[in-house]
Amino acid sequence: MTNDINSWLEQNTFHHSDFWDLRKLVEEKERKGLTISLCIPTLNEEKTIGKEVLILRSELMERYGLVDEFAVIDSGSDDRTREVASAYGADVYLASDILPEMGNKRGKGENLWKAIYQLKGDVICYVDADISNIHPRFVYGLVAPLIQCDEIKYAKAFYDRPLNYSSGLRPSGGGRVTEILIRPLFSLFYPELTNVIQPLSGEYAARREVLERIPFPIGYGVETAHLLDLYQEYGIEAFAQTDLDRRVHRNQTTNALGKMSFGILQTFLNRLRSHGRIDQLPDMETIYRQFEVEEGHYRQLTHKVVEEERPPMIEIEAYLARRKLSKQP
Amino acid sequence: MESKLINGEDTLAKLLAEIPGQVERLSEVREELLANAVLLGEIPAPTFGEGDRIRFVIDRFRENDLVAPAIDDCGNASALLPGSEGENTILVMAHADNVFDHETNHAMCVGSDRITGPGIADNAIGLSSILTLPALLDSLGLKLKDDLLLLANVKSLGRGNLEGAHHFLETTQRPFRAGICVEGATQGRLSYSGLGALRCEISLRIPGDYDWNRFGASGAIAHLSRLVGRIMEIPVPREPKTSVVFGGLRCGSTYNTVPKRGSLRFEITSEADTVVTDLESQVRDLSEEFSLESGTEVKLEIVARRPNCGILFSHPLVKTTRAIMDSLAITPKVDPSTGDLNAIVQAGHPGVTLGLTTAENLRDENETVLLEPLFKGLAQLIALLRAIDEGLCDA
Repeated sequence: MTNDINSWLEQNTFHHSDFWDLRKLVEEKERKGLTISLCIPTLNEEKTIGKEVLILRSELMERYGLVDEFAVIDSGSDDRTREVASAYGADVYLASDILPEMGNKRGKGENLWKAIYQLKGDVICYVDADISNIHPRFVYGLVAPLIQCDEIKYAKAFYDRPLNYSSGLRPSGGGRVTEILIRPLFSLFYPELTNVIQPLSGEYAARREVLERIPFPIGYGVETAHLLDLYQEYGIEAFAQTDLDRRVHRNQTTNALGKMSFGILQTFLNRLRSHGRIDQLPDMETIYRQFEVEEGHYRQLTHKVVEEERPPMIEIEAYLARRKLSKQP
Repeated sequence: MESKLINGEDTLAKLLAEIPGQVERLSEVREELLANAVLLGEIPAPTFGEGDRIRFVIDRFRENDLVAPAIDDCGNASALLPGSEGENTILVMAHADNVFDHETNHAMCVGSDRITGPGIADNAIGLSSILTLPALLDSLGLKLKDDLLLLANVKSLGRGNLEGAHHFLETTQRPFRAGICVEGATQGRLSYSGLGALRCEISLRIPGDYDWNRFGASGAIAHLSRLVGRIMEIPVPREPKTSVVFGGLRCGSTYNTVPKRGSLRFEITSEADTVVTDLESQVRDLSEEFSLESGTEVKLEIVARRPNCGILFSHPLVKTTRAIMDSLAITPKVDPSTGDLNAIVQAGHPGVTLGLTTAENLRDENETVLLEPLFKGLAQLIALLRAIDEGLCDA
């Protein structure tokens, strides 16, 4: 698997600068007859939504015509999110107004799911609303692999971590939940998916034909579910990932991350059940997989981690003798 | 001669009549203008460190298919928007640098009626108007006869001492029919002359062998404050108008350690160059005297020097600008410039500085521009370009 993994990493991992020529990208999109919808799910994001809509719409719809449709799908903000987004030209929807017969659930995944119904594009690109250093690369870096390569169905973002080491090597990975929860779980059950450097990143683009065929957790587990369901159906070859450099956003408290982990774990265990793995657990993998990056190349680091166990002390003869205890039946 | 004057008046009257209707149409380019402003504003560009911002500017010039986009030896970015005849060239410039360092968080916050962030008014929105000028002219269906030379000049502020503008104007081979400096703030600003100015920095250091037991011995803060007091005692004439502004005092780092060094920044401005020279001489003498008296090392450095220069209030460029402002109900605030206009005028070209919109918290990190007045400010700029293009501003 290591060779396959390295080959996938080399071929399906991009940097946004690979797609700097937007004119060519738009030509390719038009040649293939693709349409692209951009969706920003929101809940009380008045401080950042104006800039996101302004920059992305102006650069990618007005200047280059890469994006055909720009929607903000709001969960019912009680600040001025919808007003500000509308002032800069986004199509603004209340999630509760879309498919009302299906009821209204509150969560980011709900908005992403309803976007499939509401928007028209062949490709839907989702971008979180809380990015304070928003730049067009957050969109073109994700839709470009789908435009250029028909086999890729889902392109996910990853970001530079603001850590630098004098050796030129630096760890490259996700946030705390990724490193503490997701990567260990993937290493155990879905080792190939450990190639996805930041599996929980909130920015990704996917083809409608795959989005419409998978269920959407409405809460924290939506990104994890996407990866697991599409991997189960199409394999690792359906994925791409793009380095979008730095992403500046709100930092979450440890308590919030605990809640997030709890939701993700539910999703993960549900997938283990539906993929038939929970009752027939495979032999546990003992290789833990992380990443490092050197001069733009990503390399997987593997660590053998064997969690050996000792029996209860009460079962040790010497202990019983020392404590003058008799063996329990 | 009389017939030319009448034709000119007719042309101006026609042009002025069109201006109010253009304000609304210019707002069609709102997104492009504001996106440029935000993208520019988020690239740090301290004086002498404008390289990244200039690269963005040159990319935009290329994307807009302007002619001969180039970065010169000094780091200025320029490009040409050709006119239909191209017999004359009008220079439109905005400085690319700002007062914030690389470590400042340059994130802009975009509201429905304002943008807030360091340097958005001075001068990201001004520079953005230069980048967006071709689209603004297109939105009005205008094609000028004259060439427009668009310039993003570097090293303008503080110790930059207008180096970028001077370099460009000294090295460019084109004569300019007129020059316009565009500043984000404040709408109504009308500068047509450069004010004589001297920017000074006094560094004070307490030497290693300083006698702390001598009468009046103290740390750098006390010495500098005495020195400020002594400079303030120098008589400053009311006429010609003259002022001394203390803009910066840097000294000390904690509560209980006597600082050994510090610096003082101040600017002398006067409508008479002789007064500036005289004050400089007095400050120099005073610094030497203070150094000997106090046993400290006092060094006076002249950071920037600008002579008085300008065109007359009655110059057709100024008169036409006032008429345009009047037609937009903008009240002119005549204010001599210590900025890039000096370089234009010193190079022998007529020029004015215009402000585009209303700003708050200038030069603070929460600097803010209001968006509603912006399009009136842009209409003013475009009307002035048209007037120059029509020959209404030639002396």
